[in-house]
Amino acid sequence: MTDWYFSHIVLVQSTLTTLLLALSVQVPLRAGVFSFAGVGCYGIGGYLAAIGMVHYGLSTASAILLAAAAGGIAAYALGLLIQRLTGLYLAMATVAFTLIIAVVVVNGGDLTGGAAGLFGALGTLDTGHLLAVVAVVVVALTFTEIGPLGRRVEAVREDPELASAMGIDVARYRRATFAVSGVLGGLSGSMTVLLRSTVTPDDINFHLVVLALTIIIVGGSRSWIGAFVGTVIFVWMPEVLAFVGEWEDVVYGVLVAAAAVYLPGGVTGAAMDGYRRYRRKRREAQSSPDAPPPQPAAAAAGGDR
Amino acid sequence: MAASTAATTGDERRAEPEATVLRADDVAVHFGGVKAVDGVSITLTAGRIFGVLGPNGSGKSTLLAALTRLVPLTRGRLEFQGKPYDTVRPHTIAARGVARTFQTVRILPGRTVFDNVALGAESAGRPGSIGRAGKAERGRVRQRVRTAIERTGLSGKERHRPDELSYGYQRRVEIARAIASEPTLLLLDEPTAGMNRQERDDITGLLDDLRGEGLTQLLIEHDVQMMVEACDHLFAMNFGELIADGEPESVVRHPAVQEAYLGTQGRAHA
Repeated sequence: MTDWYFSHIVLVQSTLTTLLLALSVQVPLRAGVFSFAGVGCYGIGGYLAAIGMVHYGLSTASAILLAAAAGGIAAYALGLLIQRLTGLYLAMATVAFTLIIAVVVVNGGDLTGGAAGLFGALGTLDTGHLLAVVAVVVVALTFTEIGPLGRRVEAVREDPELASAMGIDVARYRRATFAVSGVLGGLSGSMTVLLRSTVTPDDINFHLVVLALTIIIVGGSRSWIGAFVGTVIFVWMPEVLAFVGEWEDVVYGVLVAAAAVYLPGGVTGAAMDGYRRYRRKRREAQSSPDAPPPQPAAAAAGGDR
Repeated sequence: MAASTAATTGDERRAEPEATVLRADDVAVHFGGVKAVDGVSITLTAGRIFGVLGPNGSGKSTLLAALTRLVPLTRGRLEFQGKPYDTVRPHTIAARGVARTFQTVRILPGRTVFDNVALGAESAGRPGSIGRAGKAERGRVRQRVRTAIERTGLSGKERHRPDELSYGYQRRVEIARAIASEPTLLLLDEPTAGMNRQERDDITGLLDDLRGEGLTQLLIEHDVQMMVEACDHLFAMNFGELIADGEPESVVRHPAVQEAYLGTQGRAHA
């Protein structure tokens, strides 16, 4: 086990930081906000952490806190600016924000290291630290999925007019999701950079938008579990698919297309639907006194022989 | 329908009998050149059921949307319990004590009946709040949900999801959600649409019970007979304007109302 861990430590750590990036896109999506601002904040967080360590000698914790706060503030300000946009227009505006961050860091001179980026920002982070941060984030997000807050977030996504009639300030919820998204993006970016010790403009480009979106499409957009499943699939897929060599991108494309067509709720959505169908059948069987006892799934699938 | 024996815990939100609950004065909602509502003035007093009649496209639902601030007024004034509210944001209406149902069923598809009704119960008194309610408030919410579920005949279906319910039951979920907020004013947009006779009678009985408890209601319906039986006062609309109002029997016999529903020739044959 220990050998396996040390030979896969990069993938384990990458899973945790990528999960935070995916959540930075999933959180606004759960409130019906199609925003990629979290990816831009990943760049802001990554660069601020690197600048803080390289130029100002900040500690690892200070650099991460600075990155998270800056990400939250930047995303909230962006949310205020573009709060009247919806759907694809909102998505495009936030993609543009990400691309602008990339342009700014290229032209940032000595502060950002220009096109070459910054080196030597090695933090004192280990897997335990990452796990602790992810655990806190996941627990906090769980409260936005269950109970009263979960209901309100779902109402904001499914039917803003209904939500408004139910006393929910839809605009306030949407702005809040921008801020949370920015914090998560900032955390992800800073921790990624402090693990790698380097950051370049190429690290915060459009491919991160595609990565976060595909993770959510395949994993599921309704719960952090979906983001986790998607992250595991896409971070570990290159390792698992090493034997297909140059066909890896084809497999990747087919997987995403198949998930989009056949699993509209992602892997976790399909699993939840299956579980609900099972419970419904069980409830119907229990409520009907004349009904025969439910057949075991294996026997039912086998049919008559 | 379960007997409505449960005590109403929202009595403190009910207005004094005959007090003015809502006043709309010269309300107009225009969409470009279309005058969906034009110069409508209505007054709703406490503890009575008011109805709005009118053919399709007469502006009934737009009037309801205007009263709940979901559409902006082109002109006019709105007062709720003596306080103007024509410039407030729509999400603050629920906390003032106004609950509504919609013309088409609008419930959260991925949530259980309990969750959908709880959404209404939680809306009372917490305008736009994101934070978590206290333990006592959560207990009150659960009690309000249970009462609303029982009163609308949804007992035993708390854990069902909307796609497991008939259309009539989905309508009940909407009504349960609205009354769970223990409102001062209940606005119902075609609450019995898609229901059979028995279900309609159940809902009418519930509305009657709520009236007995002092809840003011404004009903929009196409079913003229039901409106006459259920309402204390009717408003009739056509082409966005108020064409008659008064006692239900007199309103449905009003020539302008008969013409709106049957046309001039239809009235001659009637």
